[in-house]
Amino acid sequence: MKKMMKDNQQTDRFQRVVKAASIHYDMEIGKTMAAITDDFPDNPAAMKYFYEKHRNLIRNDSNGKLPSKKTIATLCIHVPVELILAVGAIPVRSCAGAFTTEQLGAEFLPAKSCPMVKSTLGAISYNLLHGKVQPDLIINPATCDQKKKLGEINEEISEKFYLLEMPSTKDSEESREYWLQTVFKLIRKLESVTGNKLTAKSLKRAIQEVAHAQRLYRKFNHIRTSAPVILGKDALLVTNAFFFDDLESWSFHLNLLNEELENRMKTGFRVVNERAPRILLTGSPSVFPNMKMPLLVEELGGFIVSEEFCSSSRMLWDTVAVDEWHLYDMIPALADRYLKPSTCPNFSPNTDRIRKLLSAIEEYKIDGVVCQTFTGCQLYDMETRIIAKAMEQAGIQTLFVETDYSPEDIGQLTTRVEAFLHSLKHNRKKQLI
Amino acid sequence: MYSRNITMNYLQNIKHKADRANVSRLRFWIQLFTFLLIVYGGYFFIHIGSQVPTFACPYNQGSPGTCYLIAMQHGLHLTWSELVSYRGLAFFTGFLTFIGFFIVFNKAWCGFICPLGTLQDWITKLRYKIGIRFSRYDSASFQKLKKIKYVILVLLIAIPLGMSNSFFGLAPINHDMQSPFCQVCPGRTILPLASADTSQIFIDFTNKTTLVMSTLGILITALFFVGAFAKKRFFCFFCPMSALQFLFSRIGILRLTKNGSNCTRCGNCNRVCDVGIIGIAEDITSKYIVKDDCMMCFKCVEACPEDNCLDVRVFNAKIFSSTQEGFFKRYIQPNELSLKNEKNDER
Repeated sequence: MKKMMKDNQQTDRFQRVVKAASIHYDMEIGKTMAAITDDFPDNPAAMKYFYEKHRNLIRNDSNGKLPSKKTIATLCIHVPVELILAVGAIPVRSCAGAFTTEQLGAEFLPAKSCPMVKSTLGAISYNLLHGKVQPDLIINPATCDQKKKLGEINEEISEKFYLLEMPSTKDSEESREYWLQTVFKLIRKLESVTGNKLTAKSLKRAIQEVAHAQRLYRKFNHIRTSAPVILGKDALLVTNAFFFDDLESWSFHLNLLNEELENRMKTGFRVVNERAPRILLTGSPSVFPNMKMPLLVEELGGFIVSEEFCSSSRMLWDTVAVDEWHLYDMIPALADRYLKPSTCPNFSPNTDRIRKLLSAIEEYKIDGVVCQTFTGCQLYDMETRIIAKAMEQAGIQTLFVETDYSPEDIGQLTTRVEAFLHSLKHNRKKQLI
Repeated sequence: MYSRNITMNYLQNIKHKADRANVSRLRFWIQLFTFLLIVYGGYFFIHIGSQVPTFACPYNQGSPGTCYLIAMQHGLHLTWSELVSYRGLAFFTGFLTFIGFFIVFNKAWCGFICPLGTLQDWITKLRYKIGIRFSRYDSASFQKLKKIKYVILVLLIAIPLGMSNSFFGLAPINHDMQSPFCQVCPGRTILPLASADTSQIFIDFTNKTTLVMSTLGILITALFFVGAFAKKRFFCFFCPMSALQFLFSRIGILRLTKNGSNCTRCGNCNRVCDVGIIGIAEDITSKYIVKDDCMMCFKCVEACPEDNCLDVRVFNAKIFSSTQEGFFKRYIQPNELSLKNEKNDER
């Protein structure tokens, strides 16, 4: 009797928390969306779709998922989405960016944990994922230490967690082999959860569909890096929609956006002054609605040309190359794609990240780099030193900021970003003279 | 100036088209053509000399020329004093002819022209059609295996010299070892079959040497077919012609170059490589990227999704480069997609 009462209270409390948090979360979204749409003129018309998607992020039935399909949450870019699509399930990348859910997650985790981890656990524990979807399986790659332990903490949801083992280096043949075995194991898990068998036909189709989306994304990237026709805050929303949107409709709307932007290029329409400092963002990933840094940079007159984030380019850039379209070649090809080109700092060494940054700086004519680290995100924090050294050698001005999901440090950040952008402009003038 | 601009534009357009091309398909047709040429060309009174840097096997009636390995083995059947005389000069001019042929196509002789290579590719196609998986070497054994071809190359030079000279005071090698590589080469047994000539498939019981060598020859022939079915380009790992060519591949006119700063080390090139070269993906410092097993089939360039990371050059002019656009054009098959372009929902 006592136990029943306690259970009741639990659920009662649970319901109340969910209700209150939903309201807060929705307000948080509303605020961010207002900043994204209202503070800037010249938003592309084709962005409307992506704005709406985000506005309705945690409202039920907003994402058009078919209820008959299983939903599988993924927590990192290392989960091969093609496999999930091929077994007829819906992949939802569930890394969360909300301050509201971070506070919910804080109840489970040490105070110094990374805000993304807190936010993600909070969102999963209180059913506040995109579209309030309740995943049938949560695939959690063992990347950084904090994500690794995520599945053990809240017993109520831990049975849904599946730990996807990861090697801690990607350069050796042994790690490649180990990772391939892990992927095979994941396939068996996916098959048992969905009840569907992975076939060569379904996997080929999934690979091709994702490749089609990537082709459009690369085109999008080419457009925004060659002319300032779309702001970085919009670009981040496009990639962020890839987390939860239906692949087909995402591709369709990105294509529309590309067409509009190409038109802007032709007519010479620019969203910022050509002289605005060109910024490259890197570090801990900005996930909607945590658009603090990107918004700040662009509100203060910078132009974000590109991001090296696992929530954007790192997730979408790299492709699968298959030689023989049978499962025996497709699966290893897929495994390679999710290991070899990754520049996640959980790998050591991670020199590819520096090389990628340097090549982006040269190719996209970057004036300055903004490198953000979340408080408690140790791996990115450690790599900050390495990046600082490389950027110094390359003679690129870099702003390092430590921040989190709370809005408290906005004032201080504004001053720093403003000063940084000012010094970029100043340097550029000096170069011109 | 104006006309020069037009020419440049025109060339750029051609290059743009070339970058989107499906080189593998083109290669299939070139291979078919060169296979017929190398195997039956002789019947059409084509003669291309006896220094051909590929398996134009003279044991085959229809061959339009002679593989340089046989010419080299014959040419080195010299005593030391002969080697520095006019006979040595003859060997030297023959060698220069070989180089002259070779530098034009570089190692593309393996990927586009070699009839044994073409045969292996066809066997691979057959296996793919049936849907049987291929095997790969693990990298450790790969590193060991690729040295075998150099051992064979050294033997191929040393044995003819050892027949005319005495090494370390030993007796000269038996003359039954003449053209030792040809005795074990699968080209000798297989290519005459194209002219319906089965006379090369035999075991010679004359003496111990011929018995061993001819048996080896038959075994290697059998291994050629079995190996090619299990492993792409199986024989090429042991091919001394490939080793000999690689020694001079740096002076080739046709080049494969890499711009390491554009490379993400995604490994696509290594994945599609028929001979499993890892260096093509991992090496981000070398400009000149032809490794010793490379046959210049350019599948890596096709599979590279980065702009101008891998380039095929003639001298220094790029004729085919890796591009994002080309990659997606080759790898996405539109009929696989359920794209509803007319779909018009503004949710």
